[in-house]
Amino acid sequence: MPGDLTLIGFGPDGWGLALARAGLMTLYVSVSAFFCGLMLGTLIAWARVAGNWPLRKLAEIYVTIFRGVPDILVIYLFYFGGRQVVTAVGTALGLPGPFDISGFVSGMLAIGLISAASQSEVLRGAYQAVPKGTIEAGRVSGMTRFTLFRRIIAPQAMVTAVPGMGNQWQSVIKESALVSVTGLVETMRQVSVAAGTTQEHFLFYAAGGVIYLIITTLSDQFFRLAEKRSLRGHEQGGV
Amino acid sequence: MSLPSTALSIAGLHKSFGSNEVLRGIDLSARDGDVISLIGASGSGKSTLLRCIPMLEIPDAGTVTVGEDNLSPEGGRLTRGQESVARRMRGHLGFVFQNFNLWPHRTVLQNVVEAPLFVQKRPRAEAEEEATALLEKVGLAEKRDAWPAHLSGGQQQRVAIARALAQRPRAILFDEPTSALDPELVGEVLKVIRALADEGRTMLIVTHEMGFAREVSSQVVFLHQGLIEEAGTPEQLFGNPSSERCRAFLSGHFDRNR
Amino acid sequence: MDFDFFAGMFAQLLMGLPLTLNLGILALLGGFSLALALNLMRATRIGNAVASAYVFVFRGTPLLIQIFMIYYGLAGFGFVRQSFFWPFLREPYWCGLLALILNDAAYTSEILRGGLRSVPKGAVEAGRVSGMTRFTVLRRITLPIAIRQALPAYSNEVISILKSTALVSTITLMEVTGIARAAVSETWRAVEIFLCAAVIYLALSLLVTRLSAWVERRLSPWQFGVTP
Repeated sequence: MPGDLTLIGFGPDGWGLALARAGLMTLYVSVSAFFCGLMLGTLIAWARVAGNWPLRKLAEIYVTIFRGVPDILVIYLFYFGGRQVVTAVGTALGLPGPFDISGFVSGMLAIGLISAASQSEVLRGAYQAVPKGTIEAGRVSGMTRFTLFRRIIAPQAMVTAVPGMGNQWQSVIKESALVSVTGLVETMRQVSVAAGTTQEHFLFYAAGGVIYLIITTLSDQFFRLAEKRSLRGHEQGGV
Repeated sequence: MSLPSTALSIAGLHKSFGSNEVLRGIDLSARDGDVISLIGASGSGKSTLLRCIPMLEIPDAGTVTVGEDNLSPEGGRLTRGQESVARRMRGHLGFVFQNFNLWPHRTVLQNVVEAPLFVQKRPRAEAEEEATALLEKVGLAEKRDAWPAHLSGGQQQRVAIARALAQRPRAILFDEPTSALDPELVGEVLKVIRALADEGRTMLIVTHEMGFAREVSSQVVFLHQGLIEEAGTPEQLFGNPSSERCRAFLSGHFDRNR
Repeated sequence: MDFDFFAGMFAQLLMGLPLTLNLGILALLGGFSLALALNLMRATRIGNAVASAYVFVFRGTPLLIQIFMIYYGLAGFGFVRQSFFWPFLREPYWCGLLALILNDAAYTSEILRGGLRSVPKGAVEAGRVSGMTRFTVLRRITLPIAIRQALPAYSNEVISILKSTALVSTITLMEVTGIARAAVSETWRAVEIFLCAAVIYLALSLLVTRLSAWVERRLSPWQFGVTP
């Protein structure tokens, strides 16, 4: 078996610290992208549920595009396209070049926008799963649309949305590995560099895999807890 | 002694779904203390009529009056201003659904205090005290902290009635309140509604329980194809209906039930 | 707009389409077979544990790391280099395909499992009491219901694998994305080129969506009010 385990340790020759830092960067870029996607995804879901015809169509087209194009192409487009935009704006303002967009920002935006498409689907499904009768019961008690949403629709939709959102979070973590192509030093990039430097490919890719497994497993536990909490009162599946 | 005033009234109500004209000009009014049963074959429009009162279905033409408020929507939709009148009207009504429609994410007590707290903005202590009394009245005081999903259908419907009462409604509308229940659970719900009638509550009840309608109603209304075919006291309507259709409906119904 | 450039670019990128489709279709076939095997393994306790561990690892890590692990990582082992498989494992094509198959199998096995679990017990019992053998019940009752149930999720997986084939461009394969990357490093017109590539993938995924809607309609006439 190849590999000298001190290479992934925290000793003088070890890459341990670098890997830990890269793991944190993966978490950092994933969390930013996820919330980016959550905000946009909520807007898209709202447009599809309550928007007028052009808004609804627009949202549908958005979802179709981002579900049909490979994630890596979206990242490339944001990275190179972002650089063009920044350069154009910078030149127009007469600022001295050269211009660049950080891998973090373009990666976060790209993954956030991709994730927004799938998150909007989860949220829309959750809204549609709210029993219509409970909404009518709220309306006949004289609730405003906002109270109805806040007190009746959102709490029920949240229960259905939690597992789906958990899945979306897991995809975001894995998609974040693709940001490595922009040079951002997250887990994937760091293990590639380490593997190339030490020529211990197996060892470092395995270490990278373990880092992702730790992140995905821990967050899975978190979402399970959230699901359990949100299921209060629903043990028999409701009416 | 003055005559009781009008709690709610309906005039010239029309409603279509697509090309299907479900209500074809209904006039009906209830004074305080009236208990009106709406009967008729399925598809006669009685549930639609009831749902038009709080604007769950928006009529194409006609006027609905509840207390001081009235609405005459046109073309099956409400304007912004009408929407807020509708909300005020709903606040003066209680509605009990066929399928209970309790909020599954709230406990029994929370279901009952929801509208008093978040629509009427009453103080919590007062709302909870009143809700507890109402739950006692429907015989479910000990279930106040249970989840709706853990109750039988009859219990859920009784909670729904307490929830409607908590709004301190001028009138309560019942949309086939026992139709979704197992036969052995029908009695407990009817008993609660009967007690409300004895208290002098104003109620409109869409029902298939003919014996019950005969017993509690001050007035019975028979609907046929979107029109009121016959209306009168229970004695008149069940004892000696003047309309041939009403007679046929009643005999068919009693035959099937006996 | 430079139409000649776009036309030329599309023509160039479409040369990569056969490889993209080749990888996608073989990955789906291989992945489905492996997924079926994983579900059959779940009948025994040890098999169940192995299948669960497999799914855990392959769904918990990014595909990119799986590709690199197979392409770069395995070569570090002397016994791999001496084995019968080495002529394959040193080819980026076989490494990429293997990674795609292994990855697809993990996701597909969960989709299949969900479909199998959705089969109502009563339907199976009704089959048994009408005298069917276990195999007939599986063939006539269980699988048809399970597959219909799993179809929407599976069509998502088909799209997902077609998109995933783009990742093998990182190990030098010249499918659509690989050609795009090469063209970018020659011309530096990154945005235009990657947009062209995106259009090709988008067309593919729309095609799959249409196809799966059609299959779904054919397979569950009772849900769409179609007379058989």
